[in-house]
Amino acid sequence: MYRHLFKLIWNKRKQNFLLMSEMLVSFLVLFAVFTLLVYYYQNYKKPMGFEYKNVWLVNYSNGDKIHNGDSLKLFYETLKREIRAMPEVKDISLSSSNVPLTQSMIQNGFFYKGKETNNVNTYQVDDSYENVLQMKMLEGRWFNKTDAVTNTVPIVINSSLKEEVFGKEQVVGKIIGDDKAKKQIIGVVADTKFKGDYEASGMASFSRIDSSSIHWMGKMLIRVTADAGPAFEGRLYKKIAGYIENSNVEIEHLINKRKSINYFALVPMIVLSIVSCFLIINVALGLFGVLWYNINRRRGEIGLRRAIGATGRSVASQLVIETMILATFSLIIGAFFAVQFPLLNVFDLSTGVYMTALVLSIIFIYLLVLVCAFYPGRQAAAIYPAVALHEE
Amino acid sequence: MIRLQNIEKVYRTDTIETLALNSISLDVDKGEFLSIMGPSGCGKSTLLNIMGLLDAPSKGDVRIGDQATLNLSDKQLAHFRNKKLGFIFQSYHLINDLQVLDNVELPLLYRNTTAKERKQLATEALEKVGLSNRIKHFPTQLSGGQRQRVAIARAIVGRPEIILADEPTGNLDSAMGSEIMEILIQLNKVDKTTIVMVTHDENMANKTHRLVRLFDGAQVQ
Amino acid sequence: MLKNYFKIAIAVLKRRKFFTFISLFGISFTLTILIVLTAFIDKVIGDDYPDRKRDRSLYIVRMEEVGKSGHSSTTPSFSFLDHYAGSLKTPEKMTIFSRYNGTNTYVNNKKIAINYKYTDANYWDILEYQFLEGKPFTQQQLDNREKVAVISADMKKEYFGNIPSVVGKYIEADNVQYRVSGVVKNLPVTSYMLYSDIYLPYTISKSDYKDKSYRGDYMAILLARSKGDLSKIHNEYEQLVSKVPMESTEFDQIISHASSYVASYVDTGNEKKSGVVYVLTAIGSFVFLFMLLPTLNLVNINITRIMERSSEIGVRKAFGASSRTLVYQFIVENIILTLLGGVIGMILSLLALYFINELNLIANLELTINFTVLLCGLLVCLFFGLLSGVYPAWRMSKLNVVNALKAK
Repeated sequence: MYRHLFKLIWNKRKQNFLLMSEMLVSFLVLFAVFTLLVYYYQNYKKPMGFEYKNVWLVNYSNGDKIHNGDSLKLFYETLKREIRAMPEVKDISLSSSNVPLTQSMIQNGFFYKGKETNNVNTYQVDDSYENVLQMKMLEGRWFNKTDAVTNTVPIVINSSLKEEVFGKEQVVGKIIGDDKAKKQIIGVVADTKFKGDYEASGMASFSRIDSSSIHWMGKMLIRVTADAGPAFEGRLYKKIAGYIENSNVEIEHLINKRKSINYFALVPMIVLSIVSCFLIINVALGLFGVLWYNINRRRGEIGLRRAIGATGRSVASQLVIETMILATFSLIIGAFFAVQFPLLNVFDLSTGVYMTALVLSIIFIYLLVLVCAFYPGRQAAAIYPAVALHEE
Repeated sequence: MIRLQNIEKVYRTDTIETLALNSISLDVDKGEFLSIMGPSGCGKSTLLNIMGLLDAPSKGDVRIGDQATLNLSDKQLAHFRNKKLGFIFQSYHLINDLQVLDNVELPLLYRNTTAKERKQLATEALEKVGLSNRIKHFPTQLSGGQRQRVAIARAIVGRPEIILADEPTGNLDSAMGSEIMEILIQLNKVDKTTIVMVTHDENMANKTHRLVRLFDGAQVQ
Repeated sequence: MLKNYFKIAIAVLKRRKFFTFISLFGISFTLTILIVLTAFIDKVIGDDYPDRKRDRSLYIVRMEEVGKSGHSSTTPSFSFLDHYAGSLKTPEKMTIFSRYNGTNTYVNNKKIAINYKYTDANYWDILEYQFLEGKPFTQQQLDNREKVAVISADMKKEYFGNIPSVVGKYIEADNVQYRVSGVVKNLPVTSYMLYSDIYLPYTISKSDYKDKSYRGDYMAILLARSKGDLSKIHNEYEQLVSKVPMESTEFDQIISHASSYVASYVDTGNEKKSGVVYVLTAIGSFVFLFMLLPTLNLVNINITRIMERSSEIGVRKAFGASSRTLVYQFIVENIILTLLGGVIGMILSLLALYFINELNLIANLELTINFTVLLCGLLVCLFFGLLSGVYPAWRMSKLNVVNALKAK
């Protein structure tokens, strides 16, 4: 029977061409949308890796002209001590501009045994950073005061970077970097979704702020108690603005930053989903119309098949299967294009994401075709052979 | 072979009731070649449809062979038609998107056969109607007479005991018509196939064993 | 003849309600999405409040220093713009203003986030902000380093509440008290070059605007005497920049352009990637992919519609209609259908825009349908109608009379 249907479809290839190309394009659109959705969902399922509640972000401009790095360090140490002394403050850390839940990014290469790994987020932070954000150490330890006197620069990496570069190897104590700048890994920290709930954590390496980089710092992260309110925020603001003269200061809450960064991820996703929903409805209606018309055009054929021994059910299933075979052809071509994405690594997504999206869109197309062919198929089954055969 | 008893067929629409067949009783013997004649709209096609189990009578009983057909399900009917009956139509009803051989194989698809068997049986049937050199053609590439011969091959490929032909020569000129008629007569003589044929053509009807005339749904001869 | 076509078309569309519905659904929905997109783009880069003299303005928003080991791209500093762009001969006027930055203020235990921008006095001449009350600060106030501010209507409402006039009152931001000199109409944040909550004289800026470093926080607009001067100014600035001495030995090239609004709006910050090309490709491929599916669908439906009527076409041909008249008739029918879909699409777009505006996704971004958007919609409609009608019509003209008559 299948061979028979293949022949029928092949001989009608000219008529079926448009129908197939429509299914193909629908598949590609669905594949794109599902890839995005699966990617977002996979990231969404992963733990955040840090605690953003009750963490405030202070943006300040480095107004004071202290040119000596060590003096500047002292200057900030004093400020931090004063802030830490406030009862509502649990801990405070300076940070480079790429603070969590903002769009700001700093990426560098990571050198190990002469091989460079690109797109590694590099963060420059204080010893208290881990405590402020309550990150999880997996191996080794976070920075502390003793690191100030070591010869090699200590760094902490996250588990994504560890997996990418070292796999299952033991990494604590390893020396990395080129001859000019040797660094030692002292710890591995769990992945943190710094770009919001829906983005991957990416690879990251952390290092301590030193007396040269402190000139470029412009952010502070402060962990406060749960009951710290606007009155305290006002006082904190006055303290910082009064201490760093000639500076523009702004305080934001990470909890709000998370909302807005998620919003930026979600809005395009929602718009895309709505648009593709309508596209699919559009395609479904069109498919339904064409199939329905085809049934009417083939009444004679259907009547004949009934006369020579096909049951109503087999006529209906023939039509559904015919459409499914058409869909299969489109899907094979579509899948060929789709697998190029993981093969050529077009976007930086894992193969699993593509494969899940591929399977989902194949299932979706089959369901769509099934639904669209079902009613016309039932109509065909209801055709009365005695009538259909005498119409012409 | 076919026994019709007190067949009545009523078509109902919202406003009118039409009596298409009025208490028809008819016996067709095994190996008989019967023709049915009558003016347009006299109910001959309806009668043929009822014999072919494509349509159910409003009243009365149809027996084919020793099988009562009244309470058969859609599936059983389909199976029965497939095994016992072959159909030929005035407008051939070939599937234009399939080649001649595939068209002839069609009835075999609805029973358990292998592709090889199907091909063999279909080729044999086409030989019988003298079209073995046309098996790769599409129906649209054939003349009317050739198309009807393909339809006959399709009707006989499943070796049915009965062939029902609805004006098989109606769309053909007289030479081609005679050719088709000759094939049917041979089938009846050689293979002992029972044939019931509806026709307009007195000449064709005269070549058959028996003639039944219908007028306004009733048997007049 | 056209009237006749029209009558037949309407009759046909009425007869085949389901197919008409599918076609209309596809067309109107596609159009709705495209109109919303156009309205958005039009609003974001086409809205000329407050820079109404956009057509004779050039914008300097970026300065790139390129060296062997890397490059740095950011906004130029005040002194760079003042010293170099300020020395240009051709422009009629120039204004220098900072990017917007955030700060807070705390009123009655309530926190207010404030975006501030430093400007010069020319800013208020070149840009035609609509003053709801008061007036801009003057050159003299600027020179005297007076702590005055122009604030936005939103800021007024948030800081002072619903009071009729705030001119002369004080607003505290960043630990400093500023006297309000005027209130201007709101801008959406998408006009990122000019958007702010409060506008302050650059002379009271906390960071040292006299800093001689090239990199900074400022942008400039050059106003030409006439449109004809634009390319002259562009070239003059280009030449000037090429002669600017390097800031450090790290770099061997300085790049900065005075370009049109659109080009500077979509600037990618990288000389090698043209923002205009990038944005055009992105929008173009989205629109293409997005329209491909409904078009295919429509072509499919149209072919089905034609084939269904093949016997009618056969009869018409048999009675002497030429293929050409039939094709015309079909295309007219299809264009009527698309225009009908277009009208429905317009209504849907109005609804969609209303909802989007209600949701207030981006503050002060009021999307409207204007003449440009309508024209775009109409063009898209006609294009759609022709595209989806031509191939089926061609198929129709090939239809064989005999077969068409035979097939039912």
